[in-house]
Amino acid sequence: MKYLGQILPALVVICVFLGGWEGYVALTDASPLVLPAPSDVVNGLLVERSAIARHAAATLGVAGVGFGLSVLFAFAVSIVLHFSGWLRRGLLPLLVASQTVPIVALAPLMVLWFGFGLLPKVLLVILVTFFPMVVSLVAGYASLPRPFRDQLVSMGATPWTVYRRATLPSARGHFFSGLRISATYAIVATIFAEYAGARQGLGIYILSAKNNFRADLVLSAVLVSACLTLALLAIIHGIERATGRRYRRNAHA
Amino acid sequence: MLELQGLTVRAGSDPLVEDVSLDLVEGSLTCLIGPSGCGKSSVIKWLAGVLAPELQTKGDLHLDGQTVELPHDAIAYQPQQDTLFPWLTICENARLGLEIRGMERRTARDRVRRLFPAFGLDGHEDSFPDQLSGGMRQRAAFLRTIVQDARILLLDEPFSALDAVTRLQMQDWLIDRLAERPRAVLMVTHDLYEATQMADRILVMAGGPGRIIADIPISTPRADRSEATLADIRSTLKSMLLKETP
Repeated sequence: MKYLGQILPALVVICVFLGGWEGYVALTDASPLVLPAPSDVVNGLLVERSAIARHAAATLGVAGVGFGLSVLFAFAVSIVLHFSGWLRRGLLPLLVASQTVPIVALAPLMVLWFGFGLLPKVLLVILVTFFPMVVSLVAGYASLPRPFRDQLVSMGATPWTVYRRATLPSARGHFFSGLRISATYAIVATIFAEYAGARQGLGIYILSAKNNFRADLVLSAVLVSACLTLALLAIIHGIERATGRRYRRNAHA
Repeated sequence: MLELQGLTVRAGSDPLVEDVSLDLVEGSLTCLIGPSGCGKSSVIKWLAGVLAPELQTKGDLHLDGQTVELPHDAIAYQPQQDTLFPWLTICENARLGLEIRGMERRTARDRVRRLFPAFGLDGHEDSFPDQLSGGMRQRAAFLRTIVQDARILLLDEPFSALDAVTRLQMQDWLIDRLAERPRAVLMVTHDLYEATQMADRILVMAGGPGRIIADIPISTPRADRSEATLADIRSTLKSMLLKETP
């Protein structure tokens, strides 16, 4: 009941928006080639469900592999940056600068360099999702209060022990924040990569539907991609809750 | 037992602590008192081996006549903040030092759990720090320091975060705990009432740069200490501190 109370305002807003959209299309008799009604989008989704599901599975596979590798890579790089002040000062500005490069420009280059297979898409997902996680982890590591570090050092802890016992656990909240931001980019980045060149995936499906003037199917695929991102976020939220009861405690009562 | 000679701490060209020497004796509680910013914490942090590495330091430390490297197993340090890790239970927090020094987890847990009743924490082994009162948290922090069985305890303003009543209770309680096994204790405080009530000896520091300006032994047994018996010492200390406070 409490949960329903929390999501009720969002449900009301969505219903009002969809109702307004449906009503506008009905009243203005807008062409379905330009603005299909929500009911047309749902109908297109039902009719094309098997094709959309196949393409969505391909997108999810690429996003999953890319995102998983990105998490591992982000952890490895964050550890290196944490233990090397010199590298941190040298690499972090480059990582920040890398975010100014638009993925629209990168996607065709990846296809040009690495072909139409899995590799260019996975690389693009890694490039896009890796940065928020690294930055969050590095910021999380720096959030450990000095007295906590001092306490462990005075007990004879090595730098690695301090990292494992205190620095890493204290960065947990930051890590999940970065993970959530990255997750929202993962599906989008995959679709961009598929746009640039692919045999399967929601990106190529959207491109093909657009070329056939099927705005309803374009929106159906957009709806599915949004659902995939929400599902990814829900999984991350579930993992965070399931593994982190003790980490949600306050530092002071 | 522990002898510090000529400790100098500098931040670039600014001297923070200048030529501080002191010695700690087993079974004796020494208080280091002085105005804020005079370098008390720098001295205790250096002894604990946790002074910021960007500071330049010079000084010799001998334990039983032998030169020692810091941090050292014989020295346990308790910072001003209780530093209990919020994601660890009290028992896990308390055994942290033992595990870091290589003790097997089960042995460390057994050793820590045996001390819980004496520290007034019986039944709170699996509680988290945010479930305890300020006084209990402080006792848990002391448990973590004392269970390491170090011969020298360095306490940096251990009661500063507590309310007045809890502070008085904790002072008596700590004296009782320390009496169970003789150790050399160096406690930093800025409270002259706390210092005169607890210490066997008081070292007074002055700032700009930090240096020791007086070494005052207190021979009155703790049981006999009162406003009347400590009046002269407190008056002396007060005038010293007022003179040194900018």
